[in-house]
Amino acid sequence: MGVMLPAVRDGASLNQALDLGYRQVLLERGSLLSIVGPLAGAAHRGVAIFVNLDGVEGLAPDSAALAFLATDLGFSGVLSVKPHLLQDASRFRLRTIQRIHALDSTGLETGLLSLVSPAPYAIAIAPAVAIPQVMPIIRSITDTPVWGTGFISSAEQAGEALRAGAAVVSSARLEVWRDFSRTPVS
Amino acid sequence: MATRTTVPPGRPRAVDGSLNRLLEAFGHVPVAAVIRRGEELPRALASQVPAVFFLRAPAFHLGPLVWAVQARGKLAFVHIDLIAGLGKDRAGIAFLAREIGVNGIITSHSGLVAAARAEKVIAVQRLLLYDDLALPSALSALDHARPDIVEVLPGMIFPLVVTEIRSRLPLPIIVGGFVTEPAQRDAALQRGALAISTSTAQLWP
Repeated sequence: MGVMLPAVRDGASLNQALDLGYRQVLLERGSLLSIVGPLAGAAHRGVAIFVNLDGVEGLAPDSAALAFLATDLGFSGVLSVKPHLLQDASRFRLRTIQRIHALDSTGLETGLLSLVSPAPYAIAIAPAVAIPQVMPIIRSITDTPVWGTGFISSAEQAGEALRAGAAVVSSARLEVWRDFSRTPVS
Repeated sequence: MATRTTVPPGRPRAVDGSLNRLLEAFGHVPVAAVIRRGEELPRALASQVPAVFFLRAPAFHLGPLVWAVQARGKLAFVHIDLIAGLGKDRAGIAFLAREIGVNGIITSHSGLVAAARAEKVIAVQRLLLYDDLALPSALSALDHARPDIVEVLPGMIFPLVVTEIRSRLPLPIIVGGFVTEPAQRDAALQRGALAISTSTAQLWP
């Protein structure tokens, strides 16, 4: 079983994901501060909000921003490639998801060997479409749960990543969110 | 120092010779050998690949490796973003170009493409495809930087974006990153890639 994590960028896409019944979303890009109200409202109603700190605008990569996300907004977790940010985030009880680029074998191995301590809640492999091919490399180095983001444009691609062992796959496409909820993953 | 002339948009004249040689050689053997460790080099030297990409070589021990490649009639490229000990700037490229005599550099950064052009070495710019949302801005940056060659990574994404890339960038494309099987090589070449780059020695002809 795997989970679809809709990647939203504005109030309209947030509402579309919530209308489809999703209880978790990722703010992957865009300005956090322009939709902070709707996101905080959703978090207050129990929706798990994750933020890609490397992709959103309007936040400084520092402790004050993390405290704001965790304490004021009640968000669930953050994604970043930056180890110091993730270490900081764990102090605020945010779930930490370390982004790792799967662009070639050398870069992937370097990323996997630089996992933060304490261990992140999960690693997010980008692009997620690479997961079926690179999962053996990942599992030879770490047992940390694998998420995937990037270039998932069909429910079939999402299913392939999940069947390869990913726990969570993100997509920014409304049609994937729709198709996926109709396509149970075994 | 000689008076520098204004560089025309697009390809600098000074690298036309080696660039044309490379483009023609890829027409016969469309593979670049990616070298991660020195011990992988002998097999690449013995192969028919026309170009060798050094991924993480130590800058100040690079000379003999580059010269061994060139002695075999191959072109040597160095990934300046990953090389140890060298500034990722014009002076770093000048060292590679003038002291070592590399044929080209590989970089993800548009600013270094301009520096490579000024130093008259071939510029291979990497298009890193980890995020579809970032693709339009990445293509704009490449379109503006105008490298001699684009290296698209990872290989399994290339078929998904080839139409968009080719409609935006009239540049030769090398596909690399997790190209480990003959079928992946063939898929890239059939979709119009000039060559593949791979560290998988079984794919070096």
